[in-house]
Amino acid sequence: MIRFLLKGILHDRHRSLMPLIVITIGVALTVLGHAWIQGVMGEAYTMSAHFATGHLKVMTRAYADEQGQMPVDLALTGSSGLTERLAAEMPEIDWAPRIRFGGLIDFPDSAGETRAQGPVAGYAIDLLSPATREPGRFNLPEALLSGRMPRDAREALLTHDFAEKFAVQPGDPFTFFGSTMEGSLAFYNFTVAGTVRFGSEVLDHGAFIIDLTAGQQALAMQDAAGEILGFFRSGYFDARAAQRLTDRFNSSQPAGTDEFAPVMITMRDQEGMAQLMDYTNAIGSIMVLLFVVAMSVVLWNTGLIGGLRRHGEFGVRLALGEEKGHIYRSLIGEALLIGLIGSVTGTLLGLGLAWYLQVVGLDIGDAMKASSMMVPAVVRTQISATDFWIGFIPGLLSMTLGNALSGVRIYRRDTAQLFKELEA
Amino acid sequence: MLALKLAIRNLLGAGLRTWLTAGVLSIAFVVMVFYQGLLDGWNLHARSTTREWEIGGGQYWHPAYDRFDPFSLQEAHAPLSPQALELAAAGRIVPELITQATAYPDGRMVNLLIRGIPPGQQLLSLPTAALAADSVGIPALIGRRMAASLRLQPGDALLLRWRDRSGVFDAREVTIVGIFRADVPSIDQGQIWLPLATVQEMTGMAGEATLLVSAPDQAPLPLAGWVFKDTDFLLKEFTEVIHSKKAGSSIIYGTMLAIALLAIFDTQVLSIFRRRREIGTYMALGMTRGQVIGLFTVEGAAHSLFALLLASIYGLPLLHWLGTHGISMPEVADATGMTIGDKMLPVYSAGMVLFSVAVVILSTAIVSYLPARRIARLKPTEALRGRAQ
Amino acid sequence: MKCTILCLILVLAAGSVPAQTAGEIIRKIDDNLSARNRVTESAMTIHGRRGSRTLTAKSYAEGTRKAFTEYLSPAAERGTKMLKLEGQLWIYSPGTDRTVQISGHLLRQSVMGSDLSYEDMMDDRKLAEIYEPSIAGEEELDGRPVWILELTARVSDAAYPRQKLWVDRERFVPLRQELYARSGKLLKTALLSDLQRVGGRWYPMQVLYKDMLKQGKGTEFRTTQIAFDQAIPEWIFTKAALKQ
Repeated sequence: MIRFLLKGILHDRHRSLMPLIVITIGVALTVLGHAWIQGVMGEAYTMSAHFATGHLKVMTRAYADEQGQMPVDLALTGSSGLTERLAAEMPEIDWAPRIRFGGLIDFPDSAGETRAQGPVAGYAIDLLSPATREPGRFNLPEALLSGRMPRDAREALLTHDFAEKFAVQPGDPFTFFGSTMEGSLAFYNFTVAGTVRFGSEVLDHGAFIIDLTAGQQALAMQDAAGEILGFFRSGYFDARAAQRLTDRFNSSQPAGTDEFAPVMITMRDQEGMAQLMDYTNAIGSIMVLLFVVAMSVVLWNTGLIGGLRRHGEFGVRLALGEEKGHIYRSLIGEALLIGLIGSVTGTLLGLGLAWYLQVVGLDIGDAMKASSMMVPAVVRTQISATDFWIGFIPGLLSMTLGNALSGVRIYRRDTAQLFKELEA
Repeated sequence: MLALKLAIRNLLGAGLRTWLTAGVLSIAFVVMVFYQGLLDGWNLHARSTTREWEIGGGQYWHPAYDRFDPFSLQEAHAPLSPQALELAAAGRIVPELITQATAYPDGRMVNLLIRGIPPGQQLLSLPTAALAADSVGIPALIGRRMAASLRLQPGDALLLRWRDRSGVFDAREVTIVGIFRADVPSIDQGQIWLPLATVQEMTGMAGEATLLVSAPDQAPLPLAGWVFKDTDFLLKEFTEVIHSKKAGSSIIYGTMLAIALLAIFDTQVLSIFRRRREIGTYMALGMTRGQVIGLFTVEGAAHSLFALLLASIYGLPLLHWLGTHGISMPEVADATGMTIGDKMLPVYSAGMVLFSVAVVILSTAIVSYLPARRIARLKPTEALRGRAQ
Repeated sequence: MKCTILCLILVLAAGSVPAQTAGEIIRKIDDNLSARNRVTESAMTIHGRRGSRTLTAKSYAEGTRKAFTEYLSPAAERGTKMLKLEGQLWIYSPGTDRTVQISGHLLRQSVMGSDLSYEDMMDDRKLAEIYEPSIAGEEELDGRPVWILELTARVSDAAYPRQKLWVDRERFVPLRQELYARSGKLLKTALLSDLQRVGGRWYPMQVLYKDMLKQGKGTEFRTTQIAFDQAIPEWIFTKAALKQ
């Protein structure tokens, strides 16, 4: 039966091609729309996650209390062992040790004397290991305005505005000057590899990015890190999984009052994040619901149209003596098949488009040429498990429903009238 | 006119199908209007609140002042000229003196900015009248975010340490006389408001200010020694955010519109296929192909009229309700530093609505026209017999 | 403050003649300050939240306007040098072979995580130049008879507008120092102890500084060796010496 119907569908373009195209496009739009909404809603906190909170964050209890002050003196020690342990216990998470710190950059003149100085916020992140995903999180390749990415621990990225203010170019040396983890003087020489602009005035005002190993050396933080950020390998925050992992980790820590014991928090635990996330999720759900409803209505309509299209054909079949019930059942069967094929191809198409937009992103920067907002300039879709089935609701159900409704007409047709009808 | 009448009659005749299509189109339209209204509303609200609470009609900065570099404050202060004093006395400008300080809430150390403002000022919405209280030593005003992060209540004391213009240490307790709720994080986070005269006395900068806030209706004046920053400059980053949000959201309703248009396209293809005889008749009666194409295009485009009708039936009350009740935002939506009210009230401007109507009608007309072009390839004789090539 | 206190110590240590009025005490202190030069070795113990660490250094000072310090340990700090010259401060780090000038707001930062700022080190004025003294009372402190001296700033840019000193009446060394904000709020204290006799002066070998607004155990400063009126070569107080 299925093979027969399939043959019919494949050979009779009237019966199948138009509905198939419509369903495919409709389902693809639904999947894309859903992924897009997820992406746009997620964007509200993607930036926070990438720059500051991670999906999960491990730090010392003392550091957690004073996060805002970038207290390197309260950093985690034994960070590589801890990172390894975390990686082994939670393989679904990509762990990224980082150091956030403050200090001063001193630019020398030709005699090596102080020419100019400026305060900076520093980020020591894994720039150099082959598999690192940190540069992407900081959007560095896109943010690079001059020069290139650092190739070793002696090279740094400066924010462009800061570099311009001090008339510094890629290739120029500078000295970082600050406090080590113990509070001693931190001195470290770097070369400017390139300059970046993030689009956030606060950050662009004065920041520099170096490799984690350089940060550890400069700040005398051998095997230490201010914080270890965890990111779901999927790229997207899973609140429930995050909470589970956090509970597991924290309960495995010995109870006590050691203020330097590691503690894990999820992105939701950061001030205000939980509410914000619930809120954006709710808005996202409403949008998705509207989408699915709209698409269902359209495909229902397509089903109706499909039934109408074959008015003549059913007449002939009735005239030939085919049973009404049989025609109706075959109509539904075909609708199911077309809906299924359309949903599969539509989902594939939608996922393909969504995947493309997730990887490449859609540059909406044209609307705001001169500026370069950190994240919003490139909006990305976010593919989630839902995208694999959501298109089937309108694709399969609506199509079938539409056909079933319009197919009712089959029963209304009078065999005696048929020839008259067909002659006309 | 006849074409339109015919079109409407035909569409009504199609019954459920027409209403389904028009329904989807109307959803797309309502979402489109709502989304744009929401962003416009946010934009308007944020701009007006920031003006009311922080920037007035612009600010005059001391040339050394850099709002992102607290160290610039050491240099960024100057006495008010007689002209500026006159303006201040007339309530045309509000001088602010800003200095760095350290607060010690229960043994912790927190860096913050002390902002001095005349208690009697009327220009900004800050409830500075509370600072006129002389029952407490030094009255201080903070925002709710700051109150939450320092865990302070009205009546609580807070120890501040600062250095005056010559670097002399001073430390005193201030009393929180009020906690204000403002949707503008930049006057709240990391800031504490004290009477201007007190800050001038504390820092040894009598009669000096860091910046001057201009009245909203005050044209920029050439004040010697001060640099005027207009509201566009002060709101630049916010404007960029709104731009990007607009671009991002247009994709959402654009996709929605595409879904609805898909239905119209499908309908058009079918009706042209099913109504060959009718088309043949029109041509036999002397209508040109162009006229017939026009007829069908109008018919397809008429879906948008139904959609607008539907949209005004359920959409108007809905949008109106949303416009008056607003979308309440979570307490902390502004944790990111953006100005967001407790409620986002969409604002629907005539221009925006008309634009949306035009987009819907035009796009519907285009997708109606595309399949109708096939008519041009029909031969009247064949069409009359119900055959299509 | 470090200098203020060290200078104070020097000065006070030099005097053993009982003074009658506060003015005389202060003048005597300033007379004593003109001790031509000194060479010291010291150990500074900083109590952080993570534990304590100790830095050792050798310092050369001439008058109040020239000072040169070289850190000896720990290894990370070894070879770091600071030069104070006529109101300017440079730091040299051997690891980067760079000399960085410390100026502006940076002077207000803590030195090596201690309770002292660079600015505290930079203040090289004599006490009498800055403060108007008065005797506020007499009492016993740790079994020693002391004057309580009130110092009120006579200049507008003294970091601490008011100080209180508990001065050993026989040895002319303050045993306790309190630094106040203009409002009268106590900001910092210094406890001086382990008085020893060096080259005819009493010298407090141990000083404990504490920032009273902050939680913490403060910073201990111990002088392990001290010698006065040495022959210090002039090149020590040049920027070239930083790179030696």
